[in-house]
Amino acid sequence: MLEIRDASFSYDNEKMILDSVDLQIRRGEITVITGPTGSGKSTLALILAGFIPRVIEGAFTGSLLIDGKNVEDDMISEIARKVALVQQDPESQISTLLVCDEVAFGPENYSVTPSEIQKRVEVSLNAVESSHLANRPTYALSGGEKQRVTIASMMAGKPDFLLLDEPSASLDPKGIQQLQKILLDFKDSGYGILCIEHRLATILPIADRVLRLSESRLSKWNDKTSSTRTTPVEHFRRLDSVDPLLIAKGVSYSYGTISAVRDVSLSVYPGEIIALMGDNGSGKSTLVSLLAGLLHSTNGATYIDGVSSIEMTAQDIAARIAVVFQNPNHQIFERTVQREQHLVFDVLDSLGEIPAERPDEVLLAAGLAELKERNPFSLSHGQKRRLNVSSVTVHEPLVYLFDEPFIGQDEIGRNFITQTIWKRGESGGAVILVTHDSTVATSLCSRIIFLERGSVLLDGPPMIVLNRLGEIGYGEYAVLGVMS
Amino acid sequence: MLHRLNPSLKLAGLIIITTAILIYPSWRFSGLLLLLTILGYKISNVPLDVSKKRIRFLVAFSALLFAFQVLMTANGTILFFIIPRYDFMGPFLPVTDFGVEKGFGMSLRFLLVVFSSMLFVSVTDPTLLAHSFTRLRIPYRYSFALVIALRFLPLFDMENKTVRMAQRSRGISISVRGMSRILRTIRYTFFPLLISALSRVDALSLSMDGRGFGHSRTRTYLRKSSWIALDSAVLVLLSTLLLTSILLTLGFLPQVSAII
Repeated sequence: MLEIRDASFSYDNEKMILDSVDLQIRRGEITVITGPTGSGKSTLALILAGFIPRVIEGAFTGSLLIDGKNVEDDMISEIARKVALVQQDPESQISTLLVCDEVAFGPENYSVTPSEIQKRVEVSLNAVESSHLANRPTYALSGGEKQRVTIASMMAGKPDFLLLDEPSASLDPKGIQQLQKILLDFKDSGYGILCIEHRLATILPIADRVLRLSESRLSKWNDKTSSTRTTPVEHFRRLDSVDPLLIAKGVSYSYGTISAVRDVSLSVYPGEIIALMGDNGSGKSTLVSLLAGLLHSTNGATYIDGVSSIEMTAQDIAARIAVVFQNPNHQIFERTVQREQHLVFDVLDSLGEIPAERPDEVLLAAGLAELKERNPFSLSHGQKRRLNVSSVTVHEPLVYLFDEPFIGQDEIGRNFITQTIWKRGESGGAVILVTHDSTVATSLCSRIIFLERGSVLLDGPPMIVLNRLGEIGYGEYAVLGVMS
Repeated sequence: MLHRLNPSLKLAGLIIITTAILIYPSWRFSGLLLLLTILGYKISNVPLDVSKKRIRFLVAFSALLFAFQVLMTANGTILFFIIPRYDFMGPFLPVTDFGVEKGFGMSLRFLLVVFSSMLFVSVTDPTLLAHSFTRLRIPYRYSFALVIALRFLPLFDMENKTVRMAQRSRGISISVRGMSRILRTIRYTFFPLLISALSRVDALSLSMDGRGFGHSRTRTYLRKSSWIALDSAVLVLLSTLLLTSILLTLGFLPQVSAII
């Protein structure tokens, strides 16, 4: 059993992240921990993996025990033999260029013999259904593949306990189903598993117990206190009688020889909230960048509010479109939250009448009003994401293009982003939302555009598209969504 | 075939070729080595596609270097004038045999350094290079720094593109008008990149520590570099090349230097 007793931790000696927390992870069991953004879930995982207090500084009290033995004096490499942590972003954890090297990395460090390493590489890759990837370069893997390789590289060290921080965050429904199966197999093989998850629905079916971390304490998770579902919206009707806000005419885009978007044509009308769906690597993010005029297509053209995007300056685009990218760090430019929120007013000269109090009102709605003077880079992932949304929408441009905005968001964050999207649809703008979550698509959107290998496979009302997806071999989108 | 050579030997080869043409900058010598490098591309099946943008840029740049040298070198026997005599005007811009020679030397050396480096990267497996370094008793912590740098280079390139797109989406255009704007442009680019890189470094170091990196002074390797008979033969050839270039530079081989 992996256990922490009476664990308390603070990064700065002031704000307590964890306060007298006790937790036991048993072999052959899947434990899930949920809780609001910034509640200390990842910190808890870092304590369980031994990184706190050995590698990460802060005020820690309490003890970590493995099979009843206090491991206070053990080095991190000793604890790592028993406990493996898969962090949130698989991309940052891969340290070599070839999949088999990556999986071999751990055993090599412990001076395991090459023949035994070879065996472990084969077994670990097989366990995550990725034997075919052994000789592939790591940089050429998809998001789901990277995550499976990261899990395999941890399993190759033959730990007893596996800790996963938000493992389903960027997976498509197929990837999530695969992950569920892998974790169940590991559980049956006797591993103790801890999952930290915001998207409970993705991991709940395989969980043995669910705990909630909130206000520095762990408690039993209560189904009734979980996120309230948003009611389906029927009143957003597409207004065909007016001109579309966005038009794509036969657009294509390639990265080198790899074609990402192929001959896509679509129109986005005022009042529409559209879910852009599709498997990892189907071209969703590239299509968003094309629609926003940030990439120029090799063929075809895009029009924003009737004007060809090629003819628009960066200022013209920013005045009409709000884009939220996947990684919040890539789109924060200023030194304080307040300045980031006001950036658009410094950059754009000709914004219409915007009330002076609006930037502060939006920050308040985003739950960031008290953090105005903080450096945005010091915020949690979820808070950064909310700052991205609030700072790009503060001047209410016509169209919002949000790429996976709900990743890592707790209830407060989800509500803020949902409200922002609704308000834009209601007031005659349009929103395109990249998501893997069919629940979001049905409850928030009036239309789903589903991409397959860069082309539009289906385009229509959510229920019709999801039903059709079920019929043509994409059943997992329906299973993990409304039809569960 | 070059794929099979020992990675450290390939690195030594790259260093020797670069040193040889720096100490003996003859255009014929550089041309000969460039031909051998192109042959290296052929025998190791690495495409050298002239239609590719990067290669076209390199060739165009070397042509520019040639033209620059030819125009800037006035001494030597005049071959012809670029602007011939017309009435009372001219002639202007003489082209001399020495200028052409210097131009060839410069552009061929440039192409050789770039193409041989590209060939080295294409035919060398960084993990095997790291292993061959440990055989040379270089601590594995240092050799792994190289592997990690190579692993993250394409990622940072991609992130740079994303940050530029994010800037454009916020209406920020790259501006070099005025010091404050230049500083702002730099800040708006480097802050996000730096923060992103630092957060990756944190995650990477946890991931490496969490898999026992640095657990002991030595480690094992699943894939190892090897030394085969061909490596010994190539080592002899490379040593001969280095020795020849030194002797040529010192003037000990007048008959040979008359040819190359």
